Amino acid sequence: MSLKILNKEEKREIEKKLKEQFGIKKINGLVLMRGKERLFLFSGNLNEDKIKKIEEKVNVERVGIYFAKVVEDKLKLSLDGTQLFKSQITKNILEVNEEQMKEWMSGSDLFIKTGKKDFLVIKYKEDFLGCGKVSENKIRNFVPKNRRIKK
Amino acid sequence: MESKKKLELKPFFVERMKKILGKDFDFYLRSINEPIKNYIRCNTLKITPEELKLKLENKGWKIFQPFNNFPEIMLIKNKLAPGELGSSLEHVLGYYYVQDVASMMPVLALDPKPNEFVLDIASSPGSKTTQIAAKMQNKGTIIANDISLGRIKILASNLERCGVSNTIILRKDGGLLCDFFIENGSKFDKILFDAPCSGEGTLKSSDKTARIWNINTVKKMSKIQKRILRKAIRILKKDGVLVYSTCTHSPEENEEVINFVLNEFKNEIVLEEIKIPLRCRPGILNWENSFYSEEIIKTCRIYPQDNDSEGFFIAKIKKLK
Repeated sequence: MSLKILNKEEKREIEKKLKEQFGIKKINGLVLMRGKERLFLFSGNLNEDKIKKIEEKVNVERVGIYFAKVVEDKLKLSLDGTQLFKSQITKNILEVNEEQMKEWMSGSDLFIKTGKKDFLVIKYKEDFLGCGKVSENKIRNFVPKNRRIKK
Repeated sequence: MESKKKLELKPFFVERMKKILGKDFDFYLRSINEPIKNYIRCNTLKITPEELKLKLENKGWKIFQPFNNFPEIMLIKNKLAPGELGSSLEHVLGYYYVQDVASMMPVLALDPKPNEFVLDIASSPGSKTTQIAAKMQNKGTIIANDISLGRIKILASNLERCGVSNTIILRKDGGLLCDFFIENGSKFDKILFDAPCSGEGTLKSSDKTARIWNINTVKKMSKIQKRILRKAIRILKKDGVLVYSTCTHSPEENEEVINFVLNEFKNEIVLEEIKIPLRCRPGILNWENSFYSEEIIKTCRIYPQDNDSEGFFIAKIKKLK
């Protein structure tokens, strides 16, 4: 697994983007990058050296939880990313009604004009349902297939 | 009550279970032929039991929390449509895990705490790993291991759904992984070895074991379990706790394995009493001309007829030095 543990500066850069886009101020834990775009959060207390020592001898399949993807210099929070940071998300939230929630969680795009751009966090009542990509008149759905509900 | 097709059991399996259970065999047989109850475990990393109960009751589900000290354990009392339990919004958002009540007991026996260093040797599909993470409140580190890449994908998906962020997933044979930690000098506060086994305890939820049961599998599994367990004990800290569990009834995979390590680690390990909210029967002390240590009475046999659950075996080992 090509896994890179981000240094303080790189982590700060991610935090800066999260703050700009969603109002998220702080990431508690190590941030790791897999490939060039997938970001993981590890809240465990094993330090970088110990993780690297394990990696030398054993197949490390995953460290922490996938929470965001870098897309054209912006961050797209995963479904679980929006839940992990739900207490900190203050910006770019789209609250949906029950009918829209069912559409969204079944994997459909939402045909709503928001006047916003980039990524929006979808919220139904107190539940955070991931991120959508805004285009002129719709919000593109990214709910993974294994997390969808039937309409 | 829902109907269930009567299990066709192998004669030798029946003969062995009659030897283990004696006069209770008929109750056992009746129980495994009844459908499994719909238990779920509230994922306290994402939601409180009170909040989840309210959400599910608003959907019309009847929720019963059978244990005051463990409000996260919930029984769905009304009839659900096939697949409904795994396809609800609350499930896909990771607010609960579908898990039989007996399968929740090994982690209750292990009692992991925040900030501990915990190893889960055979962790897929992740029911117990997610339960450990919830008990640890995502603080401290869990090493979750499995040998199969296919099963690791399911594990990773379940950890993600449940919001588990303190876990490192490794892929290695359990025994070789222990060898690595022995060489590397790492020691754990807690270890769960929910061992691969012949699966005799799962008959209530699946007829697979009834079809494929074979005494050779029992013997083969026993060897694998002993090989891994004796190594796992070596990477436990002083005063550390290891829980060994199986979902099977065969003494070769349970008491015999524990007896084996008690002999190998004389004066280094002891068995601890297990405090869980299900009815436990003590481990058996002799089987087919083998006599086991008296200490084995502290191990726990969970039977379907006692708890209306799957069958399990649990032993709690404490390292003295």
